[in-house]
Amino acid sequence: MMSDRLQIIGYAVFAVVMLTVVPFFTVLAGRNDYLYTFTLIALLSIASAGVWITFAIGRINIGQSAYALVGGYVSAILVATYGVSFWLSIPLAGLFAACIAVVIGLPILRLRGVYFSMVTLVSTEVARLSALALPITKGAKGMVNLPMPGPIAIGGITLVPDFATLENPRIAFYYVAIILMLITFLLVWRLMRSRIGQLFVALQQNEDLAQSAGIDIARLRVIAYAISSFLGGVAGAVFSAVSQSVYPSSFTTQDSINFMLNCFLGGLGYVFGPIVGTFVLRFGWDLLFQAQRFQLLIYAAILIGLMLVLPNGLLSLIPSRKGAKR
Amino acid sequence: MEQVLVNGLYLGAQYALIALGLTLIFALMNVLNFAHGQMYVLGGFVTYTVYGQWHLPFPVALVASAVSLALIGALLEKFLFRPVIRRSKRDESTMLLAAAVAFLFDAIILLVFGEKGRGVPKILNGVLNTGTIVIPYDRILVAALAVVFIAGFMAFMQFSKPGRAMRALAQDRTAAQLMGVNVNRYSNFGFALGALLAGLVGGLLVAIVGVNSGIGGAISTKAFLMVMIGGAGVVGGAIAGGLVLGMLEAVGLTVLHAYGDITYLVIFASLMIFLAIRPNGLMGKPWG
Amino acid sequence: MANRRSALTFLGAASAIALTAALALPAFAANPVLKIGFVGVTSGPAAAWGTSNVRSMETLADMWNAAGGVTIGDVTYDLDIVTFDDQKDPKLAIQGMEKMAQEGIHYVVGPNVDDGAAAVRPVAEKNNIIYFPYAFPKELYTAPASNAVLGMIANYQSGPAIYKYLQDNKGVKTVAFLAANESDPLSQRDGGVAAAKALGLEVVADQDTYANDTTDFSPVVTPIVGLKPDLLVLSGVAPANAPLIIRAARELGYTGLISTETAQDAAVLKEGAGDLANGFISVGGASTPEIRSDEMVKFIETYTAKFGEYNDESNTKVYALQYIIDTLKANPAALENVDEFKKTIDGFSAPNPYLKDPEAKLSYVGSTSFGQKRQLAVPMVVNEYQNGEFVTLFVGQVD
Repeated sequence: MMSDRLQIIGYAVFAVVMLTVVPFFTVLAGRNDYLYTFTLIALLSIASAGVWITFAIGRINIGQSAYALVGGYVSAILVATYGVSFWLSIPLAGLFAACIAVVIGLPILRLRGVYFSMVTLVSTEVARLSALALPITKGAKGMVNLPMPGPIAIGGITLVPDFATLENPRIAFYYVAIILMLITFLLVWRLMRSRIGQLFVALQQNEDLAQSAGIDIARLRVIAYAISSFLGGVAGAVFSAVSQSVYPSSFTTQDSINFMLNCFLGGLGYVFGPIVGTFVLRFGWDLLFQAQRFQLLIYAAILIGLMLVLPNGLLSLIPSRKGAKR
Repeated sequence: MEQVLVNGLYLGAQYALIALGLTLIFALMNVLNFAHGQMYVLGGFVTYTVYGQWHLPFPVALVASAVSLALIGALLEKFLFRPVIRRSKRDESTMLLAAAVAFLFDAIILLVFGEKGRGVPKILNGVLNTGTIVIPYDRILVAALAVVFIAGFMAFMQFSKPGRAMRALAQDRTAAQLMGVNVNRYSNFGFALGALLAGLVGGLLVAIVGVNSGIGGAISTKAFLMVMIGGAGVVGGAIAGGLVLGMLEAVGLTVLHAYGDITYLVIFASLMIFLAIRPNGLMGKPWG
Repeated sequence: MANRRSALTFLGAASAIALTAALALPAFAANPVLKIGFVGVTSGPAAAWGTSNVRSMETLADMWNAAGGVTIGDVTYDLDIVTFDDQKDPKLAIQGMEKMAQEGIHYVVGPNVDDGAAAVRPVAEKNNIIYFPYAFPKELYTAPASNAVLGMIANYQSGPAIYKYLQDNKGVKTVAFLAANESDPLSQRDGGVAAAKALGLEVVADQDTYANDTTDFSPVVTPIVGLKPDLLVLSGVAPANAPLIIRAARELGYTGLISTETAQDAAVLKEGAGDLANGFISVGGASTPEIRSDEMVKFIETYTAKFGEYNDESNTKVYALQYIIDTLKANPAALENVDEFKKTIDGFSAPNPYLKDPEAKLSYVGSTSFGQKRQLAVPMVVNEYQNGEFVTLFVGQVD
């Protein structure tokens, strides 16, 4: 068992690398395209972290796209229609997604196993069709030409510049996404070490036993699901700013399935599994760009191979350390 | 309205056959087979090739679809699913494997059969028109075959030795093993049978709705829905779920015709509510 | 431990495969290489759209390269088509456009759908990429947007022309619309409904939708068939769905006309609906034998030899690359500077090699719809399916 302190140091090193070394060398090598790839990976791993939390209470969540879509629309509507600052819209999008998750979660979290999975899978479709049908989302036409994130200034000092004035907004979005990802995983890691985190694991192992031990399992499950959906909403909100648009098809069932795969691939027993899983899946797709029409074939073959060799996730490569670092 | 009910029944029969294979594999191995739809598409393309391109008789094509998919299913179980189930700490890992297999099949199907939607010459010409209902003869034949296949499958599960062994497995794996059922052999057999059913229905439906290389994922999702409505892992549930979903679509599309944009929204939302009220579907096992 | 080692071996093997695949690309060429990009969907249910794009581009590039390359200014280039499959996912479309920027590409064909086209806009504008989407939202082509050029006829342009023709020649009075419940088809339906109403047609159904993954369309078309409209418009219908809908409607006894405003493939219609598809009206580029030039026939032959089977959607999609190269020839400075390209657009004119008519010209249009020339003037050939092939109903123009 790796000590907490070692894990914190490891994570701090990872954070510094992601914030300095990676962007430095990416820009130095002139690989601007990777900046977007990393941005996307960071955002998708935030959403995947949410799915991972529902895994932690023993539920397979194939509905994260619904909340990412909700988050994207909330942010877009706040920014474009009501002129709210993009930065404020991120937490609001997350909170809105979490509120919906509480309402929907109360009944559906009673479901177990594949039944829960299926209901969440259906919820992605419900979100997409709602976005198509509601007037506030502008239906099929989507919300396009969204403004770039504005500046943040406190007392006359500009903390964050107006993205529209930047020479290279990609690097700015990179930092936004990476910082959000770092914060997310730090909090999830902390959460899993707290009392609530311990209870989550108890739920995963045996709900009935946990209930008979006097734990309010209904409340715990909703808390986990709300946190999960909050993260989905945040990821969706930032993505709507990156693409300056959001459509009913911005996050689909396929994304929901991918979020789940990210968690599996990284390893369900590891807090940082979703980062590793997302990185390998997305970056792998990027590298296989050279393979052109054989891209999907090679990608799928590698995925199956990994599953055969490492059925407990990539992080199980690191021997005998539970909850290990990246 | 008669036409709508006929549509619903007819769609339900197709759906039920699609759902059967999925629920069988789930019942035996607790694997949610994400590649079910891709198996359906593969079966469709086998029939397309044998009947549409080589001009062999349609029944031969159906047999070819069934046999090739059974073979694929058996190989998948033996070389992919069994090792992963054995070594993985969590049951759900098979979902990733199944999804990866779905990707692989998608890629292969696209490379081999191309991106175009395909169809075959009609197996029967003519239309039955009674005044209130209109059904083409080929659709009647396909629906009848679907019912025959479903009945055949149920009889097989009920009365044959492998069928009884598989039912025992589905009920309690450990107990079945203690009673002397060869678990590996019948898991393999069941997986092959599930894949066979997927291929068979894929081949059968090519005759009336064609086949399209990218539709596998959507078919899987639909099959999941039916299985959930009826109750996971129960043969009767899959049939009931298929019929209910078929009816729901047929009636919903007509009743909500004036509000078309929200038809599917209403169908899906009511499904969520239904499952929230009845967590195990119509007749599912409590553990899911 | 054995487990871990085999994992490493496996990863090694996997990267070796990836590397081999990367090296297997054609690397040697006598001429300097000019890269033209494609970002769009070549897998999944909508694979047909992007695939016909890619194959048109590759066929044309092969033909030109075999003939010694294309000469732009003083330099002769070999064309290299760089493709990226966005899987119809806007997140991947951005990634694809970033890849194109990384490759130093300034001209990209695609994306194929609305959400992708909207999502790549910031990347294209930042990186000086002109892109040619097959998506219809006007925001993409209207100022301040200036880097997107619509690659085909939009439904709000062809729709009115088709409805008018059918109103005048076939006595159509009532029309019903049917669309998949996705962004592109629904937007196209709304445009079509408005156009039909403007012509004084009675719209009897404008809300009927279906899921794009529907396999059996009987329940979907049953309510519409009961309304007995003179014309059934399949808005933005996917090529794979068109024959299924036609077949279901005809078998249920529908006798009116059926039309769509997008390009379709005759072979798909023939296999999927057979004779029931006779009379189905769609829109294509150089799509019928009566109007094709020898050059177009040669293109179709090369395409068929290369990929085994032609796709009639390429009658429209052959144009994008032709326009890019011809515009570059007209102003070689545009090779590196897309502002030069934008300047050239306004006065550009070149012979249309794919039509028999010697007067046919390639030019940029769109002033009426977008307030600026941001559309390829693909001839609007409205055709009718008859026994396995298309016959021309009429040829229209867009300005």
